[in-house]
Amino acid sequence: MIFVAFVFLSVAAGCFLYRLLRGPSTSDRVVALDGVLSVVVSGVIVAAAKANSDVILVTVLVVSLVGFVGTVALGRFIERQGG
Amino acid sequence: MSIVAAVFVIVGSLLTMIGGIGVVRFNDLMSRVHAAAKAPTLGLLLVAIGAAIEIGSSKAVVTLLLVVVLQLFTSPVATHVLARASYGQVSIELDGGDDLAQHFAAESGEAAAAEEAKLAEKRAEQSRSQGDD
Repeated sequence: MIFVAFVFLSVAAGCFLYRLLRGPSTSDRVVALDGVLSVVVSGVIVAAAKANSDVILVTVLVVSLVGFVGTVALGRFIERQGG
Repeated sequence: MSIVAAVFVIVGSLLTMIGGIGVVRFNDLMSRVHAAAKAPTLGLLLVAIGAAIEIGSSKAVVTLLLVVVLQLFTSPVATHVLARASYGQVSIELDGGDDLAQHFAAESGEAAAAEEAKLAEKRAEQSRSQGDD
């Protein structure tokens, strides 16, 4: 049953990666990258639920914080360089 | 896996997928930001609730709570920084007036007025001190 969740997350990752490759502006790519990291976070949580173990959940914290810092840094970069 | 946890996890994944579809289908940067910011956040919340029900250990619950709270705080901030940075850099179709441009105009007008007032004050002070001499 949890298989369905992985299918949904794969479709979401495909959509975000499409926008990451196609995106006309840098801002679109940053949005897509943020989305990919969000999918990764959800995927790791689903994997932890499937394995019924809390060992890999610390990874989620790190990935989500890296995503936030990366998005803010790229936002500052766009502000200076132009999208 | 229990039915309740599975439903939470699947609905959360579905919301993340809806966000992804929105990012592909919308044809405007601000709409894409809107799709990418909200749906995956709610999806993550539901997935975390499902995983917390399924795993059930206190360590998992605390970690997932921390993840969800951090995401709820950081996602709007990151999105706002990005949208604010892209304003003026990317062409955006508006269906109303440009409120942010009006805000900027008012702000720069205020700054110019303040500068003028400062200059006038300085001039008045100079003429006063010259009058003293």
